[in-house]
Amino acid sequence: MTHDDDRSLTQALEAAREAGRRCALATIVATKGSTPRKVGARMIVDPDTGLVGTVGGGCGEAEVIEAAYKVIETGKAQRVNVDLTDDLVSWSPAVCGGVMDIFVEPVSPEFS
Amino acid sequence: MTSLHPAEAARLLVEIPERGGSVIVATVVGDNQFTGNRIALIVIEKEEPELRGSLSLKSGTGSVIQLMKNILEDPRASDGLHELTIADHLSEVYIEIRRPVQELVVVGAGHIAQPLAHLGALLGFQVIVIDDRPEFATRERFPSAEKVIRADFSDPFRETPLHTRSHVLLVTRGHKYDYACLIRALRMDPPPAYIGMIGSRRRVRATYVQLLEEGITHALLDRIHAPVGLDVGAETPEEIAVAVAAELIMVRRGGTGAPLKGVERIVERFFKEDK
Repeated sequence: MTHDDDRSLTQALEAAREAGRRCALATIVATKGSTPRKVGARMIVDPDTGLVGTVGGGCGEAEVIEAAYKVIETGKAQRVNVDLTDDLVSWSPAVCGGVMDIFVEPVSPEFS
Repeated sequence: MTSLHPAEAARLLVEIPERGGSVIVATVVGDNQFTGNRIALIVIEKEEPELRGSLSLKSGTGSVIQLMKNILEDPRASDGLHELTIADHLSEVYIEIRRPVQELVVVGAGHIAQPLAHLGALLGFQVIVIDDRPEFATRERFPSAEKVIRADFSDPFRETPLHTRSHVLLVTRGHKYDYACLIRALRMDPPPAYIGMIGSRRRVRATYVQLLEEGITHALLDRIHAPVGLDVGAETPEEIAVAVAAELIMVRRGGTGAPLKGVERIVERFFKEDK
């Protein structure tokens, strides 16, 4: 994450909080092998405004978005393991040959 | 105190490094009752270290704080997972660390400075542009710069003192201006992290002759990156800016500047033709 990434993420989190919206924050906490994004990459899933940032796109990200909606609904954090190793010769953009461990947590608009 | 809100933690990760400090955020991500709890440790030079948030538990916070302190002392530490016993349970803690923001001081606001300022900002530098010509030192010409300053080259760093996080790039329109700024940068104690100067071999040599006459030592001359940039055959201002940016990355990450193809030699090592 660059300083600019940190900044846009902060703005998105604060905007959601000020608007009183519940959203989810996904963070790549560990990777194995070759993955499109590295540890620290983040994405906010905000049901009202969409996505900010990326955890790599493709099928893997779709899995994370699905998990994020569940996390927003239940208010309970979840770990998502995205496996990109299945088919190395398919040349699909989502196939990088690695595994990503992603922490998806609810972000409540309440001020603590 | 309760757990630090993700938005507050995110703000600390942005603001503390801009103030020249370091910050570590620890988030419990293991599958237990503390999952999602966050705590931050802020360390700013000459100030008392400060904790923000709590892990909402009576015991075990100490082990997390100790972990954060250890990581802070490791210059190569980066974001990642750590296993840790918290309140008798083995937990996983995700650590984020941000060091003080590095500064790129571009002296001279001409045609190379423009792409350089953009690239510097992209690479995470706080960019400061300095020129003595008011029509060049404008915000419009440098939208991604943090500050654009009009200052005489006789005393260019008066408003923005250099420090150990400063990367100075001299790209003024004439060698006498480069020289005036260079001698000031070289006499800084402690010295800036990086000094680069653009110029042909002739121009660099002429500058060095003058510096030696002024009593600057050979050791100090050797600190200057000049001519600045990696050899990629750059010709246009944009290409030159990329070559200079590549050198800044090399200095930051400790790379060699050599093409990876030649470093890895994959064909030679793994796909040798049978003779």
